[in-house]
Amino acid sequence: MKPDIESNLPTESLSFPEGRQLARIFLPAGMIALILTLSGIFFNAERFFYSWLTGFTFIASILLGALFFVMVQHVTRSSWSVVLRRIPETISYQLILLPVFFIPILFGMEYLYEWIRPERIATDELTQHKLPYLNFPFFILRNILYFIVWGFLGYKLYKNSIALDHSGDLSLDKKQRVLSAPGILLFALTVAFASFDWMMSMDSHWFSTMFGVYYFSMSFQAALALIVIITLFLIKKTAFSKIINQAHIHDLGALLFGFTVFYAYIAFSQFLLIYYANIPEETLWYYYRFEGSWIYLAYLFLIGRFVLPFILLLNKRAKSNHALLTGVSIWILFLNFLEMFWIIIPILHKGAISVHWLDVASFVGFLCLSIGFFFYLLAQNSLIPKKDPLLAESLKKH
Amino acid sequence: MTPSSNTYGILAEFKNPADLMDAAASVRDAGYTRFDVFSPFPIHGMDDAMGLKPSKLGWIVLIHGIIGLLGGIALQVWSMDIAYPVHISGKPYLNFPAFVPVTFALVILLSAFGTFFGLFFLSKLPKLHHPIFHSNHIERATDDGFFLCIESKDPLWDKNKTIDFLTSIGASTIEQIPEESP
Repeated sequence: MKPDIESNLPTESLSFPEGRQLARIFLPAGMIALILTLSGIFFNAERFFYSWLTGFTFIASILLGALFFVMVQHVTRSSWSVVLRRIPETISYQLILLPVFFIPILFGMEYLYEWIRPERIATDELTQHKLPYLNFPFFILRNILYFIVWGFLGYKLYKNSIALDHSGDLSLDKKQRVLSAPGILLFALTVAFASFDWMMSMDSHWFSTMFGVYYFSMSFQAALALIVIITLFLIKKTAFSKIINQAHIHDLGALLFGFTVFYAYIAFSQFLLIYYANIPEETLWYYYRFEGSWIYLAYLFLIGRFVLPFILLLNKRAKSNHALLTGVSIWILFLNFLEMFWIIIPILHKGAISVHWLDVASFVGFLCLSIGFFFYLLAQNSLIPKKDPLLAESLKKH
Repeated sequence: MTPSSNTYGILAEFKNPADLMDAAASVRDAGYTRFDVFSPFPIHGMDDAMGLKPSKLGWIVLIHGIIGLLGGIALQVWSMDIAYPVHISGKPYLNFPAFVPVTFALVILLSAFGTFFGLFFLSKLPKLHHPIFHSNHIERATDDGFFLCIESKDPLWDKNKTIDFLTSIGASTIEQIPEESP
């Protein structure tokens, strides 16, 4: 009576060797753009470091969001996501390379972080009180710790999954869960503190206990958007279309919708508390980001990153509409960069939006390099975790 | 037994959720439209198997949500700016960021009402009695029974053919449900 679903599916052989050709386009494009960005150090060093940090925090947010996605699927032992888990796994594997791109920031600390400038420390009492935390050696130590944790998790979760493909050894599946549960805890702490260190501490007076969650909410929304884009792209290009059905897409769409609301909730809560309490040292951060034409970006995030996706994705059918999902996801990904831009650049340019070609080069460079490396890795392995014990259940999802 | 014109429907029992799902799909493919299934728990994918149209509940909830949104804004604009304008920490009377939590809460509240009472409305609840309770087995639908009932109102209704059809798709027991209490 029931058709045998698995017998006519290409689960064993599905791969994407064409990814190498894509990598051959994206990797050099990304390299060139990043080298162009790096060349900025010679004629506009200050702007270069700000642009680089913008691109870096943008790409880090996506890789970290993908890592969280993988760990949550393992911890909850989700079956629905098994067919598309190779995508976030491959994205988060790139975390092992993230520290390389952090190195330039170390040379621009004086430009980026006011707590390291001697004249600031000498004259500002509040900064002096924060010195036990905000000092160069501890900053380095913390960042090394973040990169070790993320690199280890990204590397292990990817390698175990690939090893499971080849050996079918089910103890690996258990290892993934054992790794992910403490991994999520470590992830929460490291991401929160990394966002404090990278972005919040640029203004050494300002603090927001919600900033870590704020960064996470942006990162997970953006990561989901990228997963949606890649999944729909692969459905168009490969036999992935036989494996993934509308129910999988609908769940991805629902997650994107849900975390769009989550982002809005967190971003607005952070704003509302500071706005309502109206304490000078807290409101100043928003003051600079609402000053002059910067306010337009703030409205753009409200409308473009929450209201618009919310209305567009509210309908059940819209959540599995491929064209709509792709459009919304690309838009969210772009706004994620713009929001990093809006957080970082007003420190340099108060009162008016200022776009430098270094920002564009940094955005294109980091994104292309990451996509190129993603396709390079994806081409080497099966598109789906073919020996995963929950794969059969995932294929039957309806 | 009452004559067939007074039969509410034919209740068929199936062994497990998978059989029930296959049966629902067969009934749908046979062209029946007035039928329902009963199981102790929701069976994922049953909507498709039965060929049900998407629920209208979402639209009811949306309308309630919009009423909550506009009502929340109207309430605060009227009370904070028109009826009782009071200075609060130097902020404008029309303090929209501060209006958001109340508006949000009203959207949630009215949406929840819309969902709850909308579901009652769509399910025609409250209802004191239903002919399906004339069955001797239907109570087991809350325990371990998986049932499908084709109603006599169905355009394709023909008592004997329906019984034969349900037997042919693997029903383990067949029972006629009378419209009136036997």
